[in-house]
Amino acid sequence: MIKKIRPYVYLVPAFLVILCVTLAPILYSIFISFIDLTKNVHKLDNPNLWSFIGFTNYINVLKDSVFWNSLVKTIIFTVVTVGFEFILGLAIALILNEKFRARGLVRGLMLIPWALPTIVNAVLWKWFYDADHGTITGLLAHLGFTDGYSNILSHTTSALIAIMTADIWKNTAFVALILLAALQSLPKDIYEAAKVDGAKPFQRLFSITIPLLAPAILVALIIRTMEAFKAFDIVYIMTGGGPGGGTQLLSFLAYQQSMVFGNFSYGAALAQIMSIFTMIFAVIYIRIFYKDRG
Amino acid sequence: MAKIVMKNIKKRYKNSESLTVKDFNLSIDHKEFIVLVGPSGCGKSTTLRMIAGLEDISEGDLLIEEKRMNDVAPKNRDIAMVFQNYALYPHMTVYDNMAFALKIKKINKSEIDLRVKEAAKILGLEEYLKRKPKALSGGQRQRVALGRAMVRNPKVFLMDEPLSNLDAKLRSQMRAEISKLHRKLGATTIYVTHDQTEAMTMASRIVIMKDGKIQQIGTPKEVYDHPVNRFVAGFIGSPSMNFISATCSDTALKIGDLTFTIPKEKIEILKTTGYLNKKITLGIRPEDIHHEPKEVNDSNTFETTIDVSELMGSESLLYTSLGDSTLIAKVNSTNIANGEKITLSIDFNKIHFFDKDTEEVIQSTNQSKLISIS
Repeated sequence: MIKKIRPYVYLVPAFLVILCVTLAPILYSIFISFIDLTKNVHKLDNPNLWSFIGFTNYINVLKDSVFWNSLVKTIIFTVVTVGFEFILGLAIALILNEKFRARGLVRGLMLIPWALPTIVNAVLWKWFYDADHGTITGLLAHLGFTDGYSNILSHTTSALIAIMTADIWKNTAFVALILLAALQSLPKDIYEAAKVDGAKPFQRLFSITIPLLAPAILVALIIRTMEAFKAFDIVYIMTGGGPGGGTQLLSFLAYQQSMVFGNFSYGAALAQIMSIFTMIFAVIYIRIFYKDRG
Repeated sequence: MAKIVMKNIKKRYKNSESLTVKDFNLSIDHKEFIVLVGPSGCGKSTTLRMIAGLEDISEGDLLIEEKRMNDVAPKNRDIAMVFQNYALYPHMTVYDNMAFALKIKKINKSEIDLRVKEAAKILGLEEYLKRKPKALSGGQRQRVALGRAMVRNPKVFLMDEPLSNLDAKLRSQMRAEISKLHRKLGATTIYVTHDQTEAMTMASRIVIMKDGKIQQIGTPKEVYDHPVNRFVAGFIGSPSMNFISATCSDTALKIGDLTFTIPKEKIEILKTTGYLNKKITLGIRPEDIHHEPKEVNDSNTFETTIDVSELMGSESLLYTSLGDSTLIAKVNSTNIANGEKITLSIDFNKIHFFDKDTEEVIQSTNQSKLISIS
C-alpha cells in the first residue's frame, strides 16, 4: 500500500507549484470571464455581488469591432512574421550548414538577436524608428524614400511593418537554429547519391532537403505561430497598440481592456478565446512531435 | 560498358601532409569487374569517390571512354553508385527511389515505369515498390540501392562496400546476385571492399592497395598463386598465409632445428637471386599443409603438438608452431583433439620466398616476367 502511494507523495511538491503558479490563475481567469464586473472591479471581493452572466462577456467580445480589427492585425502579424522567419531562417540555416572560414563565429553571432530579451530588442528598434534621431528614419530620408524625417511609428501601416520587422529580426535566428540542427543530422551520403543521380542544387533542395526537414520545419513553424499569435511586449514598448489601434494585437487588447480600462471580464473572455486558438496549435504541435516517438 | 583509364592519379586532402592515394595507374576494359581491396585507410574508397566525382582529383587524369573526366560533374559522367549505407531517400517509396534519377533526366513516365518495373522484377522487389525504405530489411534496401543504379543503364557501376552491413548469410547470397547481375548487364563495375573473399569470388581483376599505393593488380588466381610481396600474400587467402623465418642451403631448408628437403627448382630460385644461406621469410598457405595420419618420415614432414583444433565442418584449422612462429594448417581430418601430437607435411612445391627486409617476393627472372605481363 505504502509502495503504491509513495510515488504520488513525491509528486505533491511539484503539483503544488504548478497548482499555485499555473492552474490557479487559469481557473481564476476562466471564473472571471463568466461574471459581470462591468465598471466595478471591487465586486470580486464580495461573493454576494458575483452575478454569473454565462457567455455574455464572450458575446460582447465577438460583437466588438475592436476585437475583429485586432484579430485581423494579429493574423497579418503572425502570417507575415512567421513566413519571413521561415524563408530567411531556412536560407541562413542552409548557408551556415556549408563549410567556410569562421563558421563557428558566424553561428554564434547569428544567435545574438534571439538571445536578446524582447524588451531590449523592442527598445532598440524603437530607437531605429525614432522620428528625430532614428537610424532607419534617417536612412529612408537620405535615400529619398521619405520626404524628410518622418514618424514611421505614427502611421498605421508603417507602424505594423515596423513591429513585424523587429519581430522577424529577432526570431529568424530561432528558426535558423532549429533548421540548422536538423540539417546537420541529415546523412551526407544521401546528397552524394542525389549528386550521382544527377540532381542539381535546386532539385536537391526541393526533392531531398525540404522533405527531409519537414518535421523540423513543422515544429519551428508551430512554435513560432503560437508565439507570434501571443506577441505582446514588442507592441507594448514600440507602439502601445497605436496609432489608432493600428498595431493593437490581441494580447495587447486583452491587457489594455483589463489593466488600463479595468474591464476585467472582457479581458478575461478575450484571453480565453486566445487560449483556444493557441491550444489548437499546441495540439497539432504535440501530435506531430510525438508521432514518431511513439 | 566503358573503358576507364586512370593515369598517375593522386589525392591529397587539405591540411594533410601525405598523399591518400599515391600514383594510381589502372586501365579497365569493357565489362570488367574490378575489385579494389585493402585494409581500411588504404585509399580504395577515395579512389572510387574520385572516379564518381565526389572527390577532386589532386593530380593525374581520369579517362572514361577516352574523355577526360577530372572536371566533369558526377551527373555528367554516366556512372551509378551503390553506397555502403545504401543512401536511399528515406521519404520516397521504393519506386520513387529508383525513378528519381530518371525523373530528373525528364524521361517520359511510361519509360520510367517500364525500367523501374523491370529492375524490380530482376531484383525481386515487385511487391515492395510502394513501401518506404524504413519498412524494408537490410537485404531489401541493398537491392533497392542496386535497382536505383540499374535503371539508369549507366556506363559504369561503382560500389562502395555494398555488402558490409549485411549478415554473413545474406552477404554470400548478395555476392552471387551481384555477380549474376554483372554478367547479365555487362556494365563495367568497380567494387570496393575490405573483404578478400568478396574480391576473390567476384572480381575479374583484383587491385590490392595499401597506404594509398597499388600493391598488385591481377586475376584472383594470379594474386593468390603469385603474390608480389608479403602484404598481398597475407591479405589474400583465408586463413592468412603463414610466414616463417628460414635459411636455405643448396641441399636443405632449415626452420629452427628442423631440416627439410625442398624441390630443386625452389633452391634454384634462391641460388640465382643470391639468397642461399641468407635469412629469408617463407610463406606457406594453411591449405598447403596436410595431416599425415600414418606415421611417415619423409623429408617434408614434421611432428608437432596441436595447440588448438577448430572444427570447420568438413575440415579443421590447426594452430601449432613451426620454428619460432605460429602455424595455421587447414586439413581435411576432422578428429584431431587439442594437445594431440600429430605429423604434418608441407607441400614445398607451393611455398613462397620473401626478402626479410623489403618483404618483396623472391622469384626467378622468368617468373617475374610472367607476372609483369599479366
